[in-house]
Amino acid sequence: MGESTTLFRAYYAGLVRYFSGAVGHPETARDLAQDVFVRVAAASALPASDEGKRAWVFHIARNIAIDHHRRQRLRQVEPIAIDPAAGSENSADTALFVNQALASLDDLARDVFLMREAAGLSYAEIASVCALTPDAVRSRIHRARLQLREHLQRPLAAARQQPMRAGLTKD
Amino acid sequence: MHDVISAFLDNEPFDGQELSTALATPDGRELLLDLIALRAVVHPALSTAVPAGGSARRPRWIWLSAAAVLVALAAGYQAGRWSDRGAAQVPGTSASGLSAPPAPTSEFRFEPGVNWTDASASGGT
Repeated sequence: MGESTTLFRAYYAGLVRYFSGAVGHPETARDLAQDVFVRVAAASALPASDEGKRAWVFHIARNIAIDHHRRQRLRQVEPIAIDPAAGSENSADTALFVNQALASLDDLARDVFLMREAAGLSYAEIASVCALTPDAVRSRIHRARLQLREHLQRPLAAARQQPMRAGLTKD
Repeated sequence: MHDVISAFLDNEPFDGQELSTALATPDGRELLLDLIALRAVVHPALSTAVPAGGSARRPRWIWLSAAAVLVALAAGYQAGRWSDRGAAQVPGTSASGLSAPPAPTSEFRFEPGVNWTDASASGGT
């Protein structure tokens, strides 16, 4: 139980961000992140290294996200329609634009992008989770960014008017 | 390809010459700024789902795991009861769980004074 708690503290926030981008709904994202730790707690053995644990936890998360998408498709849930051209600077609207842009990506592109951007996994870790080479991860993340850039032109233009920081935000 | 810019932003290994070439064009420099802005837009949007206090939320998984253990224990107890009930219905077993010896299927009687090792007495060769 102690090991599971350590993993919970280390990865919960990253998992919620990952699921938030993957499913587009904050409450569902929190529930799915909890489901990851139910499976972690039920596991008989954990990887030894920190990198191995992180890749393993996100492998579980990815499977849960895939299952969730499969159930949603069976239910034929319609995505919320938003017009990014409206260009509101309201942060809630921006979050919806981002979710809509993420939803436009194919599943694998969204996964590799979110694992990097939302959870901070390295290319090697993402390659391990998604059964790709690190070079393929680099290429897919870049293509995902180019697609998102197209979808989010107005929010990006607004963000470029503010002071910027290149690194990932710390938890 | 400008994916070297992504590798640079992600703190991954990259070729310096390749990055220099990519940033030598206005398109490459615009892309760098847009990708930095993309991060500034996306990260706060994803973080809205993280509860205040980050991971301080009471972990539901602990309760779910405890519930799973309780369910497993209850199922094991119930299975044991059914197993006992099934055993009580087998002929030759008593309600207390102590089983009586089975009935014999054949019986041999040994009479005193008979030499059963003598083959000639029974007409054998």
